[in-house]
Amino acid sequence: MAVEFEVNKREVWDGNYAASQALRQADVDVVVAYPITPSTPIVENYGSYVGNGYIDGEFIMVESEHAAMSGCIGASASGGRVATATSSQGFALMVEVLYQASGMRLPIILNVVNRALAAPLNVRGDHADMYLGRDSGWIQFAAFNAQEAYDLALMAFRVAEHHDVRLPTMIHQDGFITSHTAQNVYPLSNEVAAKFVGVIDPIDDMLDFSKPVTYGAQTEEDWHFEHKAKQHKAIIDSVPVIDAIFAEFKELSGREYKRIESYDMEDADVCVIGLGTTVESARVAAKEMRAEGVKAGVVAIRCFRPFPYEELRTVLENCKSIAVTDRSSPGGAMGAFYNEVAAAMMTSQSRPLVTNYIYGLGGRDISIENLKEIFKEQQANADAGYITTDIQQFTNLRGPKLSFFKTDRS
Amino acid sequence: MAVEQQDLKLKANANRGLSQLEGGFDLLGWDEVTQGSVLPSFDGDASNVAFQKAEERSYSGYNSYTATVASWRVLKPVFNIDVCIDCQNCWVWCPDSSILSRDKQMLGIDYDHCKGCEICVEVCPTNPKSLLMFSEYADVGEALASWPEKKKKEKK
Amino acid sequence: MAITSIKNLKEFSTNNDRFEGAHTLCPGCAHSMIVRELMNCTDDNLVISANTGCLEVSTAVYPFTSWDTSWIHIGFENAATSVSASQVMHKVRKKKGTLKDNDAAVKFVAFGGDGSTFDIGFQWLSGAFERQHDFTYICLDNENYANTGGQRSSATPIGATTSTSVAGTHSYGKKEKKKDIVSIMAAHGSPYVAQLSPNKWKMMAKGFQKALETEGPCFINTVSPCCTEWKFEPKDTIEITDLATDSLMFPMYEIVDGHELNILYRPKNILPVEDYLGAQGRYKHLFKPEYKHIIEKIQSDIDTDWARLQRREEARV
Repeated sequence: MAVEFEVNKREVWDGNYAASQALRQADVDVVVAYPITPSTPIVENYGSYVGNGYIDGEFIMVESEHAAMSGCIGASASGGRVATATSSQGFALMVEVLYQASGMRLPIILNVVNRALAAPLNVRGDHADMYLGRDSGWIQFAAFNAQEAYDLALMAFRVAEHHDVRLPTMIHQDGFITSHTAQNVYPLSNEVAAKFVGVIDPIDDMLDFSKPVTYGAQTEEDWHFEHKAKQHKAIIDSVPVIDAIFAEFKELSGREYKRIESYDMEDADVCVIGLGTTVESARVAAKEMRAEGVKAGVVAIRCFRPFPYEELRTVLENCKSIAVTDRSSPGGAMGAFYNEVAAAMMTSQSRPLVTNYIYGLGGRDISIENLKEIFKEQQANADAGYITTDIQQFTNLRGPKLSFFKTDRS
Repeated sequence: MAVEQQDLKLKANANRGLSQLEGGFDLLGWDEVTQGSVLPSFDGDASNVAFQKAEERSYSGYNSYTATVASWRVLKPVFNIDVCIDCQNCWVWCPDSSILSRDKQMLGIDYDHCKGCEICVEVCPTNPKSLLMFSEYADVGEALASWPEKKKKEKK
Repeated sequence: MAITSIKNLKEFSTNNDRFEGAHTLCPGCAHSMIVRELMNCTDDNLVISANTGCLEVSTAVYPFTSWDTSWIHIGFENAATSVSASQVMHKVRKKKGTLKDNDAAVKFVAFGGDGSTFDIGFQWLSGAFERQHDFTYICLDNENYANTGGQRSSATPIGATTSTSVAGTHSYGKKEKKKDIVSIMAAHGSPYVAQLSPNKWKMMAKGFQKALETEGPCFINTVSPCCTEWKFEPKDTIEITDLATDSLMFPMYEIVDGHELNILYRPKNILPVEDYLGAQGRYKHLFKPEYKHIIEKIQSDIDTDWARLQRREEARV
C-alpha cells in the first residue's frame, strides 16, 4: 500500500510537477520513459514517487523514446494504466510507435511539453512537435498553464480509457513557460482525484489468459482502410465523452473546460486564435484593444484533436477578420492551424477573412505589443472588407519583413 | 485398416480449414471490423488451452486453424500406419502443425494445413518410409496399395 | 513453472500445439518448427511478442491469427521492449491483485529474425537485457532479410550472395564476417545465452526450457534455414541443419552467466564446410576457381572459431 503523499489545497507547482502529481494521483501502473528537456521532471518525479513508496507502480527508464512508447504499448496492451512524457526530438523519435498505439486503440497518456524541432537545435517551446502528432490518431488536449496541465492530465485518463473512446491521449503544455514556471495550482485531494479517475477496466487484456488475443496483425488493401476509418470515427465520436468528463470535472473542481475556449467573443469584430501560453497574452492584448475601441476577442483551441470545426464556426460566425497564430515553421505552406480554421470558416455562411501569423519559433517571445499589432491589422481588414496585408506574415522576426501569399483582388 | 485412417477430418475440430486464406472471409465493413485490429483466438474461455487437443477447443473464426492452405500443395504426403513406428520425427519437424499425433501415436495428416513440403517424408526413419509423396489428386487407397517393399541395405 | 517432458520424442509429442497451421510461412520454413518447439516446452501461459519479419507477416494476417496465446507485434525493432514492459505490468498487476487470474503462471517470450535482432532492433534488445527483465528472446536466424526478398543482414555469412551483396564477376558476395551475436548478448551479463539448431530437437528443447526457467533475460540464437533465400529444396531443411551443425558452421553451445561456456554438441565426424556450402544455391558461385580461396577462408574461420570455443570451455572463466 502506497504511502500517503500530502497535498495542500493550494500548491505552487510548475507545469511539469503538476503533470507528475496527476500521474501519482491516477495511480499509474507503469511509466516507461526516456526523459528529454523540458519534460524530464514529469517522469523523474514519477520515478521518485515509486522510489519513496508514494505509488505502487513501476518506472522503467528505457534507452530511447522509441522504446519508451514501445514499452507503453506492451504495458497498455497488458491491461494496466500507462503514461509517459516527452518533447521535441524525443517526440519525433516516437512517431512510428504513436501511430501503432492509436491503431491498436490503447489508452496511453502522453504528456508532451512542447519544444521546437531541430535543426537548428533548440530546447525552447514551440508547437512543432505537437503538430507532428496531429495525424497520429491521438486525442490532443492543450493546457495553457500549470493548473490546466494538472486538470487535463487527470481528465485524459478518463477520456482515453472510456470504453466508447479507447484512444491514446496527449496533454500538451508549452516548454519552459508552462513547464518550468511555478504558479498557483489547486489540486484535488488524493481521495477525490482517485475517485474521479477510477480504475481502468481493460479491453483485450493480454494478461487475461482466458481470452488470448493477437495485437498488431497485418492488414493490406482489403482491410486497412476499414480499420483506419473505424479509428477516425472513434476520434470524432469521442466528443460527447470529452464534454461529459469536462462537465463532471467542473462539478468537482469548479473549473470549466470546453473543447474550444472563447474570451470576449460575444460582440467581437476581430479575433486572435491561438494555442498554449499565447492565449493568456492575447487575452491581455484584447482587453487593451477594447479600451482603444476595437471589439477584440480571443479564441483558444483546447482540444486540437478531435478538432472542433463546428464549435469554431459558431463562435466565429459574427467575427469579421480572424488572425490564426501558428507557432511552428510551416515548411512551404500556410500554417497547419490556419488550414484547420480556414477550412472550418470556408464552410460557414459568413466567410470571415482569415489570416495567418507565424510566431514564436524556438521559444521567441510574442509580446502584448505584437498581439495588439495583429489585432489592429484585423481591424483594418474588417474595415476594408478584404485582407489588407499578405495572408501569411512572420511576427517579431528580425530582418526585412517576411510575408507570403496575397489576396487575389482582380 | 490403413485406408480407414486416412479420414480427412481425423481428429479435426468442426471448424478446421473452413475458410480460404484470401477471399474466404466476409469482407466486413468499417463498423464490423474488430477494434484496434485485435484478433481473439478463441470463443469463450480458453484458460486451459495448453491441456486441450485441437478437437476439444473452441477456435474463433479468426484462428488460422479455421483456414486452409490445402491449395498450396502439388504433392501430398500419404501416411502408411502399417509401417509407422510412432517415432514422432514427423510431428516435431512439421512446420505446419499438420501431423496428427494423439497419445504418442501418429494417426495421420491434417490436409487442411499441410503445404506438401515433404519434410515428414525426409525425416521418416522406417524402411520403407511410412510417409511418401503422391500427386495431390492420387487416390489414397491406390497409393497405399502401391507402397514400396522394404529396401535392402546397399552394399558398400 | 510447468515445463513439459522432453525425455523422448514420444513424450514430447503429447503436447498440444498452441501454434496453428494455415500460417503463410513458406513450405519447409524452419521458423515454425522452432516456434512450435518453444511453445511445446511449457504448459504455462505465454505472452509472445514478435518483431516485424517473416514470422510476423505470416502468422497474423488479418483476419487470421495462428497464435493460441497472447501475442503482440508493434514494429521491426521493439519486440524485446514490448514484452519486457508487459512483464513489468504483470508484476505490478499481480501485486495489486488486478489480474483476471492472479495465480496463472506465465512466461514472456520475444521472437525476432536476424535482421531485427542483429541490426535494426539491436538497441531495443540491448536495452531490455541491460534492464534485466525476466523474458526469453529467440532469434530465428536465417542470415538475411528473407521477408523483403533476401537482403544482406549483419548475420549474413561471408561469401553468401544476397540481393544487396550480389555475387558476380567482380564480387564473391558478402565481404564481411557474420556478427557474433551470442558473445555480444553474453557480454550483457545475461544468465543464459545459447546457440541451438532444430535438427537436435532435444538439445534445443533443453535450452529453451533452461531459458524459460532462468530468471532474467535469456537469449537463444537458432539456425533457421530459409529454403527460399538459401536456395535448397523445402524438404531438405533438416538436412541443411545437420550439415550446419556437423560442419561447425553453426556450433551449438551455451554461455551461462556471461562467462561459463559449454559446448553442447561435438560432431563425431566433422564435415568439411564444402558439404554445407554446396547444398545451397547462395554459395554456388564460391565453387568457381576464382573464389575457391573464399571457401578456404570460411573453413579456416570455422576452425579458428571452434578452437576458440573449446579454449573458452576449458578455461572455465
